[in-house]
Amino acid sequence: MAALAQAFAPYRRYLNSTMLTIGIAVVVALFVSVRYGPFALINSLVLGGMWALIAAGLALMFGVMNIPNFAQGEFFMVGSFTAYFVYSAINNALGKNPPSALAALAPFVGIAAAIGVGAIVGVLVEKLLFAPLRKRTRENWVLNAFLLTAGLAVVMTNGAQIIFGTSFRGITRYWDVDPIQILGVNVSVDRLVSLAIALVTIALFWLFLSRTQTGRAMRAVAQDEVGAQMQGIDLGRIYLLTVALTCALAALAGGTLLFMFPAYPTTGIKALYVSWYVLILAGLGNVGGAIIGGFMVALLQTLTTYFVGEAWQDVVPIVIIVLILLFKPSGLFGSGVKGIWEQ
Amino acid sequence: METTEKNVTVSARVPSLFTWIWNFMGFSWVGVAVFAIFAVLPLIPPFNREDLVRWQIGAALLGAQAIAFDFTAGYIGIVNFGFAAFVGLGGYVSALLAVRFGVSPWIGMFVGAFASGLLGFLTGALTLRLRGIFAAVMTWFVGLALLGLTRNLTDLTRGALGLNVPALLETSSNLPYYYIIFVMMLITLLVLRAIVRSHIGLAFRAIGQNVEAARASGVNPTYYRVLNFTISCAFAGWLGSFYAHFYGILTPDVMATGKTVEVLADAYIGGRMSLWGGAVAAYPFVFFLEWLRTSLSQFAGLNLVIYGLSLILVMIYYPGGLAEAYHALERRLRKDKQ
Amino acid sequence: MLELDSINASYDFLQVLWDVSLTVREDEFVALIGPNGAGKTTTLRTIAGLLKPSAGHIKYRGQQIQGLLPHEIHRLGISFVSETMNLFPSMSVYENLLLGAYTVPDKKAKLRSLDFVFELFPRLHERRNQMAGTLSGGERKMLALGRGLMSSPSLLLVDEPSLGLAPMLTASVFEALQTLHAKGMTILLVEQNVNSTLRITNRGYVLEHGRIVMQGPSAELKSNSYVQKAYLGV
Repeated sequence: MAALAQAFAPYRRYLNSTMLTIGIAVVVALFVSVRYGPFALINSLVLGGMWALIAAGLALMFGVMNIPNFAQGEFFMVGSFTAYFVYSAINNALGKNPPSALAALAPFVGIAAAIGVGAIVGVLVEKLLFAPLRKRTRENWVLNAFLLTAGLAVVMTNGAQIIFGTSFRGITRYWDVDPIQILGVNVSVDRLVSLAIALVTIALFWLFLSRTQTGRAMRAVAQDEVGAQMQGIDLGRIYLLTVALTCALAALAGGTLLFMFPAYPTTGIKALYVSWYVLILAGLGNVGGAIIGGFMVALLQTLTTYFVGEAWQDVVPIVIIVLILLFKPSGLFGSGVKGIWEQ
Repeated sequence: METTEKNVTVSARVPSLFTWIWNFMGFSWVGVAVFAIFAVLPLIPPFNREDLVRWQIGAALLGAQAIAFDFTAGYIGIVNFGFAAFVGLGGYVSALLAVRFGVSPWIGMFVGAFASGLLGFLTGALTLRLRGIFAAVMTWFVGLALLGLTRNLTDLTRGALGLNVPALLETSSNLPYYYIIFVMMLITLLVLRAIVRSHIGLAFRAIGQNVEAARASGVNPTYYRVLNFTISCAFAGWLGSFYAHFYGILTPDVMATGKTVEVLADAYIGGRMSLWGGAVAAYPFVFFLEWLRTSLSQFAGLNLVIYGLSLILVMIYYPGGLAEAYHALERRLRKDKQ
Repeated sequence: MLELDSINASYDFLQVLWDVSLTVREDEFVALIGPNGAGKTTTLRTIAGLLKPSAGHIKYRGQQIQGLLPHEIHRLGISFVSETMNLFPSMSVYENLLLGAYTVPDKKAKLRSLDFVFELFPRLHERRNQMAGTLSGGERKMLALGRGLMSSPSLLLVDEPSLGLAPMLTASVFEALQTLHAKGMTILLVEQNVNSTLRITNRGYVLEHGRIVMQGPSAELKSNSYVQKAYLGV
């Protein structure tokens, strides 16, 4: 008996709240797929991947620049609109019976455009809003930046309303092909490609942050700004890059999910509060935690939908997060998963 | 010689009640004048037009909310990002009491205040272990949860279909309503100002600046934070009832985050930690925005864009807001006098 | 190489440096000593660009550098090892060092610097995968110094490397600085440990209350009666 305990001793340190939470999540995921069929699980994964991206951007911006971005949903909206207009334009140009290769590529062009426009808008926001605020005053920075992004969100939502009107601009699907059979369930190609995009992007993003000098520089700025400057890192450039990346990630999600969430001025609201749920759940500034958290919140939402009803999927996660915060104010992974850096 | 001395001593030792209140509250003649103008404004043409009176009601209501909001944001340094939900809760409670039990709105508004105050008490307690931005996001989540509940409990609230609310008064004129909300705004301002200028306000400011130092000085941050939230949210609920019984219809959208941002913008443009700033700024602001909305109606939403831009510009270029500008002007004039 | 000319610096409205002038020539090892709060750290921070002087000039190899941003100054070849070290706690020793070579584009040069630092501080090599936040005080100082060397700087500014270190570690830190100087590095050293400092440096400046009150060859300063009484406890 004692020998057995000793054999497991080196694994003891993994039995902390983080692993427990992830373990529970995995069990729940399995339960969901067994009880409600794989479609529920796949849907959770698709949404989870996107929530992970949006939340990762949010965590990045908070960690590196100490800005709680209340306009993150607006960048989702920007991506949504961009993808819609670019994709529709290409579709119209291609005509009734487009060659299948081009038709298959068109959505990617739309999504790529969404990323590009998102990054550009991010750069503008940094240059026009955050840089001047930084110059003005450093005190009360977090709160002031937060309020600034709140004002930005109002401007962007209503600006979009003025320019585009309130009508929903949606597409039924990106790829006009039959759904694929997975585990006896029909899964649309759109969903599969979204999941693939999410996973690839997460992997690239993670590699960028952990393996490249620039990614390392960003993490350095998050941990010690003065130290980073002392190594010759240009803070201004890192800020620009961070904001561009954050907004690009949200826009990517918006563009990719166009088949699920049509483009209209307030489409970003859901993305906004879901990404904030994830952030609070995972611990502010914790990018790794945000990625895992994205999937967990999606799972939670799916569970709520099946157990209680779709309308409650926004209320229940909040109650759970409030409870978690009561017992662990630093967030679920605050002191557990070290992500890339911690708060 | 003796007579003069005696007179001086007597008047110094026994100031009249009026002077005492004047000094304690820190009133100024300018302030009194401004609010006097607001009081008589709807009687003066062209401001006595029914639609303009409606604007003034909107201004007073927004201003009153900004006062209650600033009570928390300016003094204990926590932005109650779910504020609109507390306003809405008061409105719904009062409305439902009237609709289902025939309770008079004049009583309902205090029940609404109580309900919001209670929720404020709980929310304040919830945010105790959290600092700055965490606390703000937590209050935001409370607001979102409330919004979700209101939307989903359609048997109770009729959700997005809207709840028809009996009016406060049996009159088709807006003018009486203006005076009701104006008095409510004054009461809010006077009560909160009195609290803020008392030792309680000192405690608020202490925990707003530095919680540890406050605790070390014997100030109990828990007690004061929860107290502040409760009071602020109670007033929010009280004002929410007016909203419900004046506009006559309630939808869950009154609790939307965007509504909180409106109040927040007004409070910050008016000047944080001033209380009166939001009230005074509300009038020109609401007038300007309503004018935009009605005259440039093809650009639906332009007024809100301007609103957001104003918040951004104030945050970057003049974070002190209207109150700071006023004090700067005051100092300038005093210097010039010397 | 480095010339400070009548530098005045303040933190908000409190003036800390008053007409500070000093020079550091190529290949010199110069000391800046003085009591706590004299403004020594402020001087280094001003040179490094973390603080903008309110008056005066700083010339580096003939170029005016006051007012430049810290990362620009680093790129000119001036490396600052601060007293608070400013390490990146959630990154490994290895990653911290790599970041020290952020401005070095050539991969081979980076590896060479890495080898150099690991040779100088074998302890760092042992702990190269350990998180910087979990290192001991002495190891942190070594890492900070090592990181400062990764960019092969022409001028090294070191602020109180021995502060809080056990005597044995202090000795090894000073040894390392001596070795670096012997290899041709120009160093400006701020220290409270006056004895060892004056022993290994060429020249020294004494800063008190934000003003240079004395300067000269280190040997002379060491035998100066005032210095002996005030700083050497004689």
